[in-house]
Amino acid sequence: MDDRLLAPEAVRLDEHAANRDDAIRRCGGVLVEIGAVDPAYVTAMLDREQSISTYVGAGVAIPHGTTAGKAAIRRDALAVVRFPAGVDWGGNHVTTCVAIAAQGDGHIELLADLAELLLDPERARALHEAADPDDVRRLLLSSAPN
Amino acid sequence: MPTRSVTVGATSGLHARPAALFVAAAAAQSVPVTIRTSDKPPVPARSLLSVLALGAKHGAEVTLEADGPTADAALDALATLLARDLDSDDESPDHG
Repeated sequence: MDDRLLAPEAVRLDEHAANRDDAIRRCGGVLVEIGAVDPAYVTAMLDREQSISTYVGAGVAIPHGTTAGKAAIRRDALAVVRFPAGVDWGGNHVTTCVAIAAQGDGHIELLADLAELLLDPERARALHEAADPDDVRRLLLSSAPN
Repeated sequence: MPTRSVTVGATSGLHARPAALFVAAAAAQSVPVTIRTSDKPPVPARSLLSVLALGAKHGAEVTLEADGPTADAALDALATLLARDLDSDDESPDHG
């Protein structure tokens, strides 16, 4: 995975959200803050979640926009936003969100890498528990052979 | 054992939303179904993480396999779904 996809400032380890939509707004807000997307993308992320849950398993959700929302993407980027208190995600307990802004199909490999990481209980635990943003980045960026 | 080879029809590949729709349909079948790509071993079709880990892009050939009395019907249903462009249904709540 290209390490520019996940900037150090896009890793937030201690966020709070009242509910799922609040968590998605927080995730989208980080993508806006780092200049990856325009604010309209956040609405597209909420729309996508209405259409089908982005919960993938192992306490992780991958909020991202609809196809229509791609126009609001300035550059491909990821954000990792952790909610230590947890968020109820349509009945699933989510503590880590990997928010995705991707225009092409580069995120297929990225998702495949993330899924492989989450299928490994040790690495999944490390993602949920890492205390340093650099550890989170290393975990995600090293999951793909370069 | 009955199998079906299908070309992934979703424009952006078997990623988040198309994968979620596929996994939900697989979980609704009465027989367990596996899916594999040409370079990866079969995984349970009802495991979203396993399906995502295949990383199947648009145009990739995947193979479905199932066993049991309703295997053929299950495979036909899932193969039809996979061949569809699940992304073109993007904003339609009917399919979400």
